[in-house]
Amino acid sequence: MIEDRELDAWREQWSSVAEPPADFQSKILQRIKREDRRFVLGNLLTVIAFLGILIFAVYMRHQASWMGTGWATGICVLVFVSAGVRIWVLRRTWRPETQSTRAFVELWYKRVAARIRLLRISIYLSIGWLIFCAALMAVNWSIIGQDVRAHPKGWVALLVACVLMQPAVLWYGAAWLRRRKLAELNEVTKILDEMSGNSVP
Amino acid sequence: MSEHRHDLEAQFDRILSEHGAAISRLAFSYETVASVREELVQEIALAIWQALAHFRGECSERTFVYRIAHNRGLSHVWKRRPPHQPLDEIEESDQPIDPRPHPEEQVAQTDRRMRLMSAIQSQPVTHRQMIVLMLEGLSHAQMAEVLGITENNVAVRLNRARKMLKDALGER
Repeated sequence: MIEDRELDAWREQWSSVAEPPADFQSKILQRIKREDRRFVLGNLLTVIAFLGILIFAVYMRHQASWMGTGWATGICVLVFVSAGVRIWVLRRTWRPETQSTRAFVELWYKRVAARIRLLRISIYLSIGWLIFCAALMAVNWSIIGQDVRAHPKGWVALLVACVLMQPAVLWYGAAWLRRRKLAELNEVTKILDEMSGNSVP
Repeated sequence: MSEHRHDLEAQFDRILSEHGAAISRLAFSYETVASVREELVQEIALAIWQALAHFRGECSERTFVYRIAHNRGLSHVWKRRPPHQPLDEIEESDQPIDPRPHPEEQVAQTDRRMRLMSAIQSQPVTHRQMIVLMLEGLSHAQMAEVLGITENNVAVRLNRARKMLKDALGER
């Protein structure tokens, strides 16, 4: 066996670097319990929110005007389409093919790319939703019009808050998130390149 | 169900006892701030716990632990940019107390250890992984298994990483 004093010296220094704290295991067990509770609570809240939206939509369907029915149907369709698109775009990004670091980084790349794609589709869906709401209002103008004439200020405020602010918030939010995700994608690509030996630092 | 969980918990406890120190060292190469490093160690342990239910013994337990620890370390580096923080910022309490009576030797040892750690942390993340696995005493085959590359590739990259580490140590 070839003696490698340099490596032995490094290993000796390395082995004395850090010891886990004394209460390491108990802290981790506490954290696991906390995460388990958070997982259950998170899923419960999602189911409650989903059911809430559906119950609200069904309730709205029984309103007298077409507006409520159309809006409720629109929400149901939007919820199902959003969930479907999300599952479709994120397919094959749930688990790595193997447990190796390379497989993990490849999965990371796929996830970030899928999220960027999902972001683009979300913007299209939001625009579609706005167009749908505008069309619904136009169809029901005979009913809404009377209310608009009776309370013009309230309707202008609603219009500004819901219709004009939404694209602005969406635009800035999406642009910020996209920048973040693109930076992440660049970083992951760099790591993958380094792993393939394409770039020598 | 509860029996299965009980077995998993026992296995998890054993893994933490056997590999806890290695996880701690590995976290050191990814994070210099003590409080954040403790958080990273917990995250690694949590990830091991979550993956343990799917572990079917395709590789050794040691390889399994290192894979998860490195993967978690990589995501941590991304979340915690800028990744390299000088070791001067590490609190004094981070350094293990050397029981030997000669203070000069103790200072020299601490200094060497600090230089090594600082040099490791200044490396690109992929080189850092190679170096850490080498220092942990993994064979080329085990390293290839952890990283998902061929043994030949391990040898080439390890040489390169080692040379860069040596250069970095020479500069300090």
